[in-house]
Amino acid sequence: MGDQIARAEEFQKKAEKKLNGWGLFGSKYEDAADLFDKSANSFKLAKSWDKAGSTYVKLANCHLKLESKHEAAQAYVDAAHSYKKASGNEAISCLEQAVNLFCEIGRLSMAARYLKEIAELYESEQNIEQAIVYFEKSADFFENEEVTTSANQCKQKVAQFAAQLEQYQKSIQIYEEIARHSLNNNLLKYGVKGHLLNAGICQLCKGDVVAITNALERYQELDPTFSGTREYRFLVDIAAAIDEEDIVKFTDVVKEFDSMTPLDSWKTTLLLRVKEKLKAKELEEDDLT
Amino acid sequence: MSEVFEGYERQYCELSANLSRKCSSAGLLPPGEQKQQKVSEIKASLDDADVLIRKMDLEARSLQPSAKAALLAKLREYKSDLNKLKREFKRIASSNADQASREDLLESGMAGAHMASADQRERMAMSVERLNQSSDKIMESRRTMLETEEIGASILQDLHQQRETLLHSHQKLHGVDDAIDKSKKVLTAMSRRMTKNKWIIFSIIGALVVSIIFILFYKFSHH
Repeated sequence: MGDQIARAEEFQKKAEKKLNGWGLFGSKYEDAADLFDKSANSFKLAKSWDKAGSTYVKLANCHLKLESKHEAAQAYVDAAHSYKKASGNEAISCLEQAVNLFCEIGRLSMAARYLKEIAELYESEQNIEQAIVYFEKSADFFENEEVTTSANQCKQKVAQFAAQLEQYQKSIQIYEEIARHSLNNNLLKYGVKGHLLNAGICQLCKGDVVAITNALERYQELDPTFSGTREYRFLVDIAAAIDEEDIVKFTDVVKEFDSMTPLDSWKTTLLLRVKEKLKAKELEEDDLT
Repeated sequence: MSEVFEGYERQYCELSANLSRKCSSAGLLPPGEQKQQKVSEIKASLDDADVLIRKMDLEARSLQPSAKAALLAKLREYKSDLNKLKREFKRIASSNADQASREDLLESGMAGAHMASADQRERMAMSVERLNQSSDKIMESRRTMLETEEIGASILQDLHQQRETLLHSHQKLHGVDDAIDKSKKVLTAMSRRMTKNKWIIFSIIGALVVSIIFILFYKFSHH
């Protein structure tokens, strides 16, 4: 590994010299770019991600001066990948620059893909608001490019995080829209009940019983098979339990559903919130009486 | 878990040995205080034995079906053992020879019915067991089916995505095709221009050479 680093440093020095010196026929930027590329590769082999990242950034600058924005954007993306292995923040800024370049070139689908990557990086750092922003942007781009599946995936993530941040209305709208789109598609219609279940859970978190019953009716209209599914019965039972403010019944219904299909952590968090609200209401009533 | 059962078993064996000894010794005694004492002792041990049998029953039922069958069979033996001891005890407690022989007479008639009802109860317990087992299995299979359904739905989603990717690449390929055609035209135009330039240069060179030769000719001819 040591010799890789040495080679890499050598390449880098040569490249810098080329940049500072005078080149013949103005080919100095191209040669420098070539040398930077080789040095960045060696850094990657030597596993020094920071240096690799910075070299890639210099490479990108060279390409920009050569007016080949595509190459520059690609170099920024490579830099971001190297930084991802080291630390997160540099990666994000590199990816943003790459995305801007791709937008200028007009390669919106690649821009959308890298926006999704940025959003995922934010998600892993638990920075949920930024993650939502970027997922929304990438969903928009994907829709413009008619790549509906990726758009749907990004929107799902948006809805998930929005529900976590208690923006229930937004979440509900997104889930219902996705369900409506998926109905028309033969391949996706088996996932519809999952989406309607998520939308239903968000409705429950809002806590408005009338709205829930209306929503359930609407979902039935949307998808006639929905009323036969376990999910529908689950939602109806929970709505009834909330109406009667019976915590034991609520826990029973949840346990029964969980024994059939284990609930994932997102659903468990939201259902817990509903239960807390129910408990709070019960305590309130006790206080009043 | 079966250790617990074995523990209970051992206790029961001890108790039953104890009981049989006490019964035989009490039977030999003349009726009186001692006999009453013995009788109450035996009653207490009989109750203990009853409790033990019930505990063993619960243990056996909570185990796996493979061990369950064997343990339940053992249990049945112990229960019949206990019943025999109880009958012995009743005979002793009555302490009347006549009544004792009457009991004997009636007992042999009743024994059959007792055994039959015990048998039936056993059979019912077994069938209830089997029903529970089958309903458990059905729940398990339902769970697996739901999981499979989920996996199937996600596979369909993946397929959808791949379909879109394929369609996109199809379109892009058409675009690339057009671009290649255009570039072919551009290249042919370039090569034509290049040959044109070459001919022009050759002709200029040729003209220059011819003019130089003319000039030299004139020079020499004037001389």
